[in-house]
Amino acid sequence: MRLLSRNAEALFWLARYLERGASLARVIEMQSSFGGHDRETGWSWLLTLHSDEARFKERFEVSAINIVAFYVTDQANPASIRSSIHWARENARALRPFIPLEMWAQLNSFHQLVEKISADDISPSRLPRVCAEIRAGCLAQIGVAEGTLYRDEGYQFFKLGQMIERADQTSRLLDVKFAQGTTSTQAADPADDFVFWSTILRTAAAYQVFHRLEQNSATPERVARFLVLNPNHPRSIGFCVREICEALQILRGTFRLSTGNACLEASDVLTDGLLRASSDQVLPHRLHEFNDWVQRALIKLTAEIGTAFFRMSMPSTDSTGSPQPNASRKAKRSTKTQSQSQKQS
Amino acid sequence: MATIAALKHSTAVSALDGYFPGDFYCELLGPDKQPGRQIAPLWHTLETSDLAQLRQRAADAERELFNLGITFTVYTDKDAIDRILPFDVIPRVLTADAWAQIEAGVKQRVQALNLFLHDIYHKRQIIKDGIIPADLVLGNTCYRPEMVDLDLPCGTYIHINGTDIVRDRQGSFLVLEDNGRSPSGVSYVIENRHLMQRAFPDLMQGLKVRPVSDYGKRLLGKLREVAPAGVDNPCVVLLSPGIYNSAYFEHVFLAREMGVPLVEGRDLVVEDDRVYAHTIDGLEPVHVIYRRVNDDFLDPEAFNPTSMLGVRGLLRAARAGHVTLANAIGTGVADDKAVYAYVPRIIRYYLSEKPILANVETHICREPEGLAYTLANLERLVLKPVGESGGYGIVIGPKSSKAELEEAATKLKANPANFISQTMIDLSVAPTLIEGGARPRHVDLRPYAITGKDTWVLPGGLTRVALKEGSLIVNSSQGGGTKDTWVLTDET
Repeated sequence: MRLLSRNAEALFWLARYLERGASLARVIEMQSSFGGHDRETGWSWLLTLHSDEARFKERFEVSAINIVAFYVTDQANPASIRSSIHWARENARALRPFIPLEMWAQLNSFHQLVEKISADDISPSRLPRVCAEIRAGCLAQIGVAEGTLYRDEGYQFFKLGQMIERADQTSRLLDVKFAQGTTSTQAADPADDFVFWSTILRTAAAYQVFHRLEQNSATPERVARFLVLNPNHPRSIGFCVREICEALQILRGTFRLSTGNACLEASDVLTDGLLRASSDQVLPHRLHEFNDWVQRALIKLTAEIGTAFFRMSMPSTDSTGSPQPNASRKAKRSTKTQSQSQKQS
Repeated sequence: MATIAALKHSTAVSALDGYFPGDFYCELLGPDKQPGRQIAPLWHTLETSDLAQLRQRAADAERELFNLGITFTVYTDKDAIDRILPFDVIPRVLTADAWAQIEAGVKQRVQALNLFLHDIYHKRQIIKDGIIPADLVLGNTCYRPEMVDLDLPCGTYIHINGTDIVRDRQGSFLVLEDNGRSPSGVSYVIENRHLMQRAFPDLMQGLKVRPVSDYGKRLLGKLREVAPAGVDNPCVVLLSPGIYNSAYFEHVFLAREMGVPLVEGRDLVVEDDRVYAHTIDGLEPVHVIYRRVNDDFLDPEAFNPTSMLGVRGLLRAARAGHVTLANAIGTGVADDKAVYAYVPRIIRYYLSEKPILANVETHICREPEGLAYTLANLERLVLKPVGESGGYGIVIGPKSSKAELEEAATKLKANPANFISQTMIDLSVAPTLIEGGARPRHVDLRPYAITGKDTWVLPGGLTRVALKEGSLIVNSSQGGGTKDTWVLTDET
């Protein structure tokens, strides 16, 4: 039998949640290491970046420790690292007949580690180390998948989820400056500017390679171009989009899935947008607008993948005629949760 | 350095120091209460094992079970908690002779129960002949009129069966219960063996133990045998209630071992009385469903209308003969605790044979004699509600206070038909590793039989052990653990 739609969807979201957890850990690690904790409000841009201000302020006072807790350990925040890893594991659990035991075993241990993160662990002195552990745990899962997951259709859906989330996260990273309240990339002090963009590069795991290639010239323009367009850095948007297109081509070609035409069109839109960006001299000056466009294009692509491959798994009505409870999809940050309705006594 | 090592050695405690089974039948020592020739190598290994070391290895092994997710799920109000089934490292050993009797007895029992089910859903001859009361069968909540006059491939209703067997003080095997709906636990049999082979290969040295790892292959073979007529290459799937079910691990395990997809109700759809699965390439036909969803939840169109776990129209598809369900709908009537009392008569009726495995002496409280006897002897009987599973609601006479017995008598008098009583069996014991060393703990055995055209029994089965001293309740939901079960080959 071909891959069940439900399994394809779970593979897609398993990878997304892992990538999301890892990216958030990277950003928090960056802020805790380089952001300076002296200013309590130094963390509030994180809320802006994820459009979470309203949701956060309903429950908490704005303070560094509250924002960190909200994004690392808060169970009620569906976008926290803890929630991401929880949902990654729930998707993996649904995939247990499908994925190698090694993937499940690693994720299971890693999940226990994340569940145990305490208030002390996220205090300023320990936060960077905890973030590094989370980053490593997510990468380990992706590594185990790389090394053990059979390369059939399922793997392509894993890849799609991973690359769509990563492209989304990198575009958000490029928006940090905007979220911090500076729309212009021209900072008052060029030295500060250099430090800032170097930090962005570190967060995108690109610091060393960027300096190797660009000889120490971390200007906002060059960093932005590198993280948007570089075809070889695994966290640049260009790289991710190429991987997305490749996975969709493999699904269509190698695996003869003819239902994916709309997905291919949606990925072509992204490729085309990047091509135009490469010849756009003022790209760094309209970075926020560009990032917004990337994120919308990724949401569109996700919706097309859902229609082509996943939605079929969800009957439109249940016995009472009401819609099945399934994924809660928010406008900006999409999430997929396993239906809780299947609890049996 | 040498002195420290020597010191350590001199204080080492053997794992078997202080093991004494008392009056109970010991599974390892047998009737002579002496390690016999067949188990001698194992006894020797245990005798020369250091207790602390063995316990450390056992703890490591249990951690491995957790990390591999070999767990069952317990629900509290707030959370779903994954627990492992506690694993005891000292195996339970069955000789080739003992196994031959169990195997033949289980096959006989399953065959009789399948004939019984076919009969009660067709001519009902056994009722007409007065062997079993009509209301016990037709008035049973597990009886499904929807199954009447439906012919099943190979006449098989119970494809997967678990027979709960105990051993009394004399070492005789007695059947305590039949499980013909969705017996669980077989995954632990195989995982326990794998764990044993990985973590305690030394214990197996010198013994020839029959393998269990081909269960998945055998099961798939049997399921393919019962595919609807005319389907050459049937698509078999395992239907699970999903990740929140307590036995989800087992569903994963079995799907993986058979190499078939694990589906949930929402993955399947019935169109024109045929079953299909939603795949990334559209709908694909399904022919055999090993379902681990109860009858009630299987098809909201036919049974519980609010079920989210089932597939609308599944009964229609089954009735049309386009899909085979394993186990069939309506097998619950055969493993009912009240019908259980009649199984020896059922065996004689259909097979004209003497039961190879006897029942535990059972009194049917719906019958006046049974009720009178039970009320008069409550303090030495085990009283069981017929509708419960998992060991709930059981009253063990000899272990109950006067007040508890009075309460039980009141409940019994209020609704006699809801109860059976059984003679208290002094369950056999097996050495089980606890803090102070190996101690006798009561065990039972659940062999698994799978049936298509004919029946195959997995050598051994699940040995459950009551870890609490003196306890007779082996259920996992009530603090029971498991042991690896070794069936020795003849040449051992």
